[in-house]
Amino acid sequence: MMKRTLGIILASTLLLGGALVGCSSKDDSSGKDASGKTTITLWGMGAEGKLLPEIVKGFEKENPDIHVEVQALPWDNAHDKLLTAVASKSGPDVVQLGTSWVPELASAGALTDITPYISKYPELESKNFFEGAVGTTKFEGKPVGVPWYTETRVLFYRSDLLKQVGYNEAPKTWEELSDAAQKLAARGKGKYGISFSAKEQSMGFMFALQNGSKLVDEQGNPLFNQPPFVDAVKYVNTFFQNGSNAVDIGIDSVQGLQGEGIVPMFISGPFMIKEIKSKAPELEGKWNIAELPGKVNNLSVLGGANLSIMKFSKHPEESAKFLAYMSKPETQLKWMDLSSNLPATTKSWEDAKLKSDPMLRTIRKQLDHSAALPQLAAWEEVSQQFIKSFERIYRGHADVQKEMDDFNQQAASIMKK
Amino acid sequence: MKGSSQKLAPYLFIGPSIILLTLFSLLPILLALVISFTDMDLSGLVNYDSIRFIGLENYTNVLLDPSFIKSLGNTLFFVIIGVPLVLIFSLSIAILINMGKSRAFKIFRVVFYLPSVTNVVAVAVVWSYLYNPTLGLFNYVLGLMNLGPVPWLTDPTVAKVSLIVLAVWRGIGLNMIIFIAAIKGIPGSYYEAAQLDGANTWQQIRYITLPQLRYAIFFVSITTMIGWLQFFEEPFVMTKGKPLDGTLTASLFIYNNGFQFSKFGYAAAGSFILFFAIIAVTLIQFRLQNKAES
Repeated sequence: MMKRTLGIILASTLLLGGALVGCSSKDDSSGKDASGKTTITLWGMGAEGKLLPEIVKGFEKENPDIHVEVQALPWDNAHDKLLTAVASKSGPDVVQLGTSWVPELASAGALTDITPYISKYPELESKNFFEGAVGTTKFEGKPVGVPWYTETRVLFYRSDLLKQVGYNEAPKTWEELSDAAQKLAARGKGKYGISFSAKEQSMGFMFALQNGSKLVDEQGNPLFNQPPFVDAVKYVNTFFQNGSNAVDIGIDSVQGLQGEGIVPMFISGPFMIKEIKSKAPELEGKWNIAELPGKVNNLSVLGGANLSIMKFSKHPEESAKFLAYMSKPETQLKWMDLSSNLPATTKSWEDAKLKSDPMLRTIRKQLDHSAALPQLAAWEEVSQQFIKSFERIYRGHADVQKEMDDFNQQAASIMKK
Repeated sequence: MKGSSQKLAPYLFIGPSIILLTLFSLLPILLALVISFTDMDLSGLVNYDSIRFIGLENYTNVLLDPSFIKSLGNTLFFVIIGVPLVLIFSLSIAILINMGKSRAFKIFRVVFYLPSVTNVVAVAVVWSYLYNPTLGLFNYVLGLMNLGPVPWLTDPTVAKVSLIVLAVWRGIGLNMIIFIAAIKGIPGSYYEAAQLDGANTWQQIRYITLPQLRYAIFFVSITTMIGWLQFFEEPFVMTKGKPLDGTLTASLFIYNNGFQFSKFGYAAAGSFILFFAIIAVTLIQFRLQNKAES
């Protein structure tokens, strides 16, 4: 075990060393290759990384002197790769950042303030985008990126199965959601109502928002042990306790939706629409999406991704040009066709196609009821702590109030640092 | 002339590895030691001015961190159960393979060695399916026998056992090879003498093979022990330390704090505590070995 690991580490350091030497020798040049082109590198994560080359072609056609090299990173190790890039002060010119990662990298000073480029490229002006999305690109008041696509969580459900338990429409309130989930779970052994992924970092906070919790007060103190937050956690916990939530079943959302519908409801983002259409075409007409059921409100979590220019980029000019291209409403629409990611520019939403698609209309409505989670560098650690605390509640049956008191204390000390 | 080149020769031979070790092992270790006394985080990577020396604060905080205490407990659990299992299995298999005279046994050597050279991620994907609560083969087979599903990776204690099963299966191969090599080195005349005196197979193993393998067993137990103390790959790819921190090992704790939360100083402090624990355990083992010798 160990002996091999050491060997691997040694070998990989050697390889890395070689690779670093390779990189640096490339950086010494002006970044132009033999044909006089400037090359900028772009890191895309997950599915986006695989689809980006399509979009990049259009940009290269308009700018024949710039070549964009796309590197696709799997989400799982994207964070590690970014850290390595920051540490070695090398890495990509342009990077796709999940909205929750912006504060962490911005506070480290790894992202370029794009203010000077906004006057040059009108496409980058913040008035073009959804307000919530622009909020995620700002750090200490400065724009350190542009919104690229936006997403928000909605309720996915098997309409035919919900009809069987007496719901001709999707559940609209917390009570209805709980009732529908229990009725669906009562269909028999090994059947469930809904799946709240226990690994999903934003789920608990989302329900707290719906319950009117503010999460963090004006002074930056966490409010995780206050009644609105605690009651929301209790509500989510009921699904775990009464067996209507599919925990630990080890199948993914699409598999749960298929066939008999082991899990007929789940909450996820618009990227799942394409996923279901391609993996489960036989479900056509048997499933739908709806705005989230609400309590005080039905706020969903605004997510998505931004594009930022790394501080160490040797080609900020070309990179800004690329950002401007990606922010054009027509590019955003083309990207939507490719990836089902939704445009962050408001102008794109005036397109006929977006207006006529009923599912996208639902998402558009939900976008108006969406909020970004607090933009704090320490948020990653806070939400990981919440996952652990919540696990102690649903699996270890810990007392909710006490667990949340502890969590609030931990969160306060994490956020203070 | 000839004399000086002869003096130089050994240095030339060990030079490359010494240089590589210094560059890629010793220097990083020293650097980590320095970092462990600072509050270095992500911004510290970009801007060295923002790093502050905070003395032993990281060490006290890590030692008071309930997650770290828990991870040490888990690591101990893995060591206490894992080390004897790997030793017993690899030793017995090595002895059994050595007894066999037919060609089939050569094939078995490969069969047992394969898991240790297979990529851990590929192994994890397959085992994840075996352990999967709904689609998994293990629970399916149990279901055929009308036995309830076992929460392989979803109960803190069972998950530890599941990971031990996987890691033992992976760890047998390499140690088995070491034992086979050691067994081959035992002179045949010992066995012939024993057979003349009428010793049966079990007695031959008990009084010749095992005592002759004393050093090999000592070596394997130390390396295996260190391996289990640094147990990381399997929990990292299979469980990420879940459920309820049940499979969180010390190495995984260090990784999470260093690379997920970017608390480099904190993680470095944790890794040095683990480092000293390993040194201490190894010294105890040497002490015991010396006692047994005398």
